[in-house]
Amino acid sequence: MRWVRAIVSLVLAAAIFWGLDNRHGTFPALGKLLNPFAGFWQNGSRSDAVPEKLAVPGLRDEVRVVWDARRVPHIFAQNDHDLYLAQGYVAASLRLWQMEFGCLYTAGRVSEVVGPAGLRQDIFTRRFGLPWAAENAVRAFRDDPEMGEVVDAFTAGVNAYIRTLGRKGLPVEYKILDYRPEPWTDYKCALLLKAMAYSLASYNQDAALTQMMKMMKDQGGWPGWEDFGDRLFPFMPPLVDPVIPPGTPLDFTPLPIPSRGGAEGDGRNKGGASGPAAFSRSLDHSSSDAGGFESPGYRTGPGLGSNNWAVSGKLTRNGFPILCNDMHLELSLPAVWYEIQLSAPGVNVHGVAFPAAPLVVAGYNEDVAWGFTNGTDDVLDWYDITFKDDSRAEYLYGGEWRKATVREEKIKVRGGATVVDKVVYTHYGPVVRLKDEPPFSNMNVPPGAALRWLAHDASNELSTLYALNRARNYADYVEALKTWDCPAQNIVFADREGTIAIWHDGKFPLRWKGQGRYVLDGSDPADEWRGWVPRGHVPHVKDPDRGFVSSANQMPTDAGYPYYLGWDYAPYERGARINEILRSARDIAPADMVRMQADVLDIRARAVLPGLLDLIKEKPATEAGKKSFEELRAWNFEARAALIAPTIFREFWNELNRRTWEDEKPRGVERMTRPASQVMVDQILNHPESEFFDDADTDGAVEILADIAEQAFLTAVASLEKRLGPFGETWRWGKVKGTQLRHIARIPGFGREKVEADGAGQVIDAIDAVWAPSWRMVVELGPEVKAWGNYPGGQSGHPGSKFYDDFVNDWAAGKPYELVFLRSADEPNPAVVARTVMRGEK
Amino acid sequence: MTAVLMCLLAMLGLQLLTPYWWWVMIVPFAYGAAAARSGWKALGTGFFTAGLLWLGSSLFLYLTGSGLIAARMARMFGLGRSWLMIVATALVAAVAAGISGYAGYAVRAFFKKPAK
Repeated sequence: MRWVRAIVSLVLAAAIFWGLDNRHGTFPALGKLLNPFAGFWQNGSRSDAVPEKLAVPGLRDEVRVVWDARRVPHIFAQNDHDLYLAQGYVAASLRLWQMEFGCLYTAGRVSEVVGPAGLRQDIFTRRFGLPWAAENAVRAFRDDPEMGEVVDAFTAGVNAYIRTLGRKGLPVEYKILDYRPEPWTDYKCALLLKAMAYSLASYNQDAALTQMMKMMKDQGGWPGWEDFGDRLFPFMPPLVDPVIPPGTPLDFTPLPIPSRGGAEGDGRNKGGASGPAAFSRSLDHSSSDAGGFESPGYRTGPGLGSNNWAVSGKLTRNGFPILCNDMHLELSLPAVWYEIQLSAPGVNVHGVAFPAAPLVVAGYNEDVAWGFTNGTDDVLDWYDITFKDDSRAEYLYGGEWRKATVREEKIKVRGGATVVDKVVYTHYGPVVRLKDEPPFSNMNVPPGAALRWLAHDASNELSTLYALNRARNYADYVEALKTWDCPAQNIVFADREGTIAIWHDGKFPLRWKGQGRYVLDGSDPADEWRGWVPRGHVPHVKDPDRGFVSSANQMPTDAGYPYYLGWDYAPYERGARINEILRSARDIAPADMVRMQADVLDIRARAVLPGLLDLIKEKPATEAGKKSFEELRAWNFEARAALIAPTIFREFWNELNRRTWEDEKPRGVERMTRPASQVMVDQILNHPESEFFDDADTDGAVEILADIAEQAFLTAVASLEKRLGPFGETWRWGKVKGTQLRHIARIPGFGREKVEADGAGQVIDAIDAVWAPSWRMVVELGPEVKAWGNYPGGQSGHPGSKFYDDFVNDWAAGKPYELVFLRSADEPNPAVVARTVMRGEK
Repeated sequence: MTAVLMCLLAMLGLQLLTPYWWWVMIVPFAYGAAAARSGWKALGTGFFTAGLLWLGSSLFLYLTGSGLIAARMARMFGLGRSWLMIVATALVAAVAAGISGYAGYAVRAFFKKPAK
């Protein structure tokens, strides 16, 4: 009996020990996590205390870090090496877990931490060639001695911080997921850059559009089908006010523009796919069965966008330029950005940075300010590959068989066997999805096609940031932009000499018009990219007569620009609204710009809604219908959280779009790719009897806008009632929109849900559900530069810190903070709350 | 009483010096195997001392800056109130320590008694 008792109790104790010491699925190791001496209890706000002195190995001289009341570090170093080493140390102390997790994600190593649940994501990341792209980027900045030193110093700083961490000091997410940080490397900085490229320069509808056109062709019965794509997805969309003011003269002689046949056209967008026959032929190469292109609910709208503008001193109260920028990214906690000032001999810059890379990304110094919006040009193409046989060892190119290579991707899986994925590479790039494979949820990938993506090429974007951080004038800025390849950006600029400018900057393939809109033929050398648009030829403008420059991810140029850069730009609303306000602005003060960043006027609603309501002849019978109608009639077109009208309008708009476009799709296409909003607005305003409004499912009857508008309104109200209950409180826009900041690893309780904020995706203050302004900045240049800014989050990445999400409420309310810009470490400033002196070895 | 105090001090010291949580199982096991006069005594001492240690220390931390992280953890675990994290912390330690203490005693009993 005694031995039974001994064995049973021992086994029980051992089981408890094992159970508490290990993770089970996603359930954490409770013993380690709850341990008050080293577990999560140690991750409270006591760690917010700032040390007065720190020994940071590797520093050559003394570095002083001044902390302001919002926990913004102002780093004063005596040389570049120390500056970036200190930045690495400080960034890691604020955001280490976020930095590392982002790298694991981009390196395709999520499975190492979360187990088999991460495998599909990792396979996609590796197939897409993100680790490969980062390896190429590392080579580029190792070849550049200046950047090599910056990145090495940053890396040393991160590692110096990691070495100070015992288990007790680890960020809480490590404790929950039960793993430890590994040493930082320059490769990880490169991964961050590639993550940005993926997020900003990989969106494409190539597969969906190819499938649609191919099916129209194959199914017959679509008279004029060849033009269908160009009508619904026009190269020059209606209503758009381009980034570069129309009529801006070219200050360069364009290169000859290639055409598909190989001959070269002569500029002005005339070269190109030329004619339906050529286009029809181009679809035939696609050996894959069109049914193999799946298009489930992939990300449809370009959810991401940003605004920036600069006004010249002619329009401002103090006579110097004002520059504004708000970059829209996916909301998250910890936030995408952190704020920092970096000062050393030759540089004193303030702005926001990515935690995982050195330098300030968007910001200002005493002389200049700059900011970004995404360019969204087409730098990603799919090439249909004809393999010789199932071994995929050779593929057809220019009438000959070329050898493919294989890159073995070894994916370690926590609690499972390592998975080896053999990725086939052509000279274009990797084959992301093989013909017989199921679709990825990340992207609509054409099966059997190779990916040609600019971000795979070696590039050195950090050197642009390095130079911008130190820029003194327009010439410095233009020089800095030359190494910015991908993702292409509208980089706005202003300096205290009074110059304003915007360059739509990036490396652009020289293409025939429309090249790459559909899946290309990988066997035909004629379908290859034909060189590059020269750097001086990218769209740009300096000091335009109108006194301002602006961008909101819209079409960069009008038809006068010679090169084809892409077609899938952001809809017109934000850009048009910005220009509308600035055109009549005079005597501008920074406060006006802050107000403008919070502008919520929906110009799309203003353009179409009164007319649409006039079409609703028969007054709605239901109570909700009547109230909704009145609500829309009385609406001032502002997307305010407290209003109900924005909710009804969005539903009405979606329903109208569904009725207009969904019946145009060929059989077998799951969901019709929606044209951009300006195409719909154009149809409503200028073509109310367009055949697109005809409901293809009704025999004989021909519907026009007036017929479907009324139905769409009634259906919209009915579906809102069904989803939200009776007309009332629950219909308010702020509630329905459901803005939230999710934790990066989606840990419940670590994000912020139900943030009530004005704004919508199509207005300047683009706070939507998960996409929103990630950094709002207003910089007033002058004898003494002044700036305001805010971002959704807080400086600390530690969920137990009071600085974790302390900016969120002010951000949601559109209130920026006056930024603290110090000239020296000793400068007295009431906002300074603490100082840290860093030295090398004691 | 001496046993309780000894266990408590041993655990506290070892926990302060090292990051390992499992001292709350090792110490009671050792006490059970070396000194406890009965299984129930071993179990009770382990349960009480480890529970008290983790209750006291987590309560202290809760009141001095870890309230916010406790609230987030409570949300993660689906517990309604942040102070429930203190209860959970104390309970985990107490149960693990109690059973470990009992197992320690049972092992000693197995080796010791057959001589009789």
